[in-house]
Amino acid sequence: MLVRLLNERARVACEIGRIKKDLGMEVYQPEREKQVLQHVRGIAAEGPLGPDAIARLFERIIDEARRLERRVIHGDGD
Amino acid sequence: MVVVMQERATEAQIEQVVKRLVEMGMDVHRSTGVTRTVLGAVGQGTPDAGLIEMLDGVHEVLRISSPYKLASKTFKQEPTVITVGDVRIGGDEVIVMAGPCSAESEQQVRSAAAAVRRAGAKIFRGGAFKPRSSPYSFQGLGEEGLRMLRDAAKAENLVLVTEVMDLSQIELIEQYADIFQVGARNMQNFTLLRELGHARKPVLLKRGISATIEEWLLSSEYVLSGGNNDVILCERGIRTFETATRNTFDISAIPVVKKLSHLPIIADPSHGAGRRDMVAPMARAAVAAGADGLIIEVHCDPDHALSDGAQSMFPAQFDRLMAELRIIAPAIGRSICLEPVARRGWGS
Repeated sequence: MLVRLLNERARVACEIGRIKKDLGMEVYQPEREKQVLQHVRGIAAEGPLGPDAIARLFERIIDEARRLERRVIHGDGD
Repeated sequence: MVVVMQERATEAQIEQVVKRLVEMGMDVHRSTGVTRTVLGAVGQGTPDAGLIEMLDGVHEVLRISSPYKLASKTFKQEPTVITVGDVRIGGDEVIVMAGPCSAESEQQVRSAAAAVRRAGAKIFRGGAFKPRSSPYSFQGLGEEGLRMLRDAAKAENLVLVTEVMDLSQIELIEQYADIFQVGARNMQNFTLLRELGHARKPVLLKRGISATIEEWLLSSEYVLSGGNNDVILCERGIRTFETATRNTFDISAIPVVKKLSHLPIIADPSHGAGRRDMVAPMARAAVAAGADGLIIEVHCDPDHALSDGAQSMFPAQFDRLMAELRIIAPAIGRSICLEPVARRGWGS
């Protein structure tokens, strides 16, 4: 389930990569990354993982999304 | 590479580093810690660590891959064995190269070649172009010296290694020698190294007197990237604060290079020690440490040698050393001069 959702998110990231390419935008959007992390921190408050751990997990998810977007924009592989 | 940010690095500074790494084509893995943030950058390129280090908020940059490629074990796992005639450098046999520092006369070269051959050397060394510290010292005999060395090597069935000091000498030396030697002073003569990359003979690359092992391997990369795969590395001592010996012979370079590179490495205890009485112990230690060969200065009359007399061994000392090496080599699973060799004085 979790893996399926992550892949769904990755597909969206690829789509965003294409849009960024069309608009001539940079892959790395620090403001947007900050918003995503703030958002997940906010909704993670009750669980045992807590906001810090959730933010660390999302940093990795964002790293992978950035990698995919870079591949879409610059067309280079791994 | 791994970029460690300073404890008080601001978000803006971290963003700036991520931005630069992404621009350099790297994938960035950000790890935000309690006190500091660490950025892991992976990718195919080799970004300039210096450029990242200069950015605000960066504490340190750690490289995790070596800057040399072709010389590294990552590129080629199995050791490189270089074949010259019937001599194999980098195989099980420890190959000894010996001879005078420079060619001085027909007779001196002949007698040295005969002496080293009898003791079990496979390769004859000798210089015709000498890079001396002082312009007033003996500079070598030039082409006449090359001819003498070639004739003597041929007469004794030895492979010949001699130093090339300059681009302009390559063509001439190639006609006489089997192996090009690049001296310590020329280790970073990149135009010479690049040209030797196109030569079809092996290159014996000495370590510069103040070169790190990484710089030395990068120099070998110049030859390898030109298409010449036959590079033999040679440790010859480095400059330190110690004055008891001419140089400090860095024996640890042998296992370090063996770990990092597939290229054969030999040792030059003559220059490493700079004193005749210290050559044998350093030579024994180098073989015990895993050197693929040795290059040693031997002169029949070292007290009257025109160069490096103080560090040249007498033939009898060289004989004794070879006998000792024949005991040491098998202890680490290697051999040295398999053919039976006549003792000094027998039929000579």
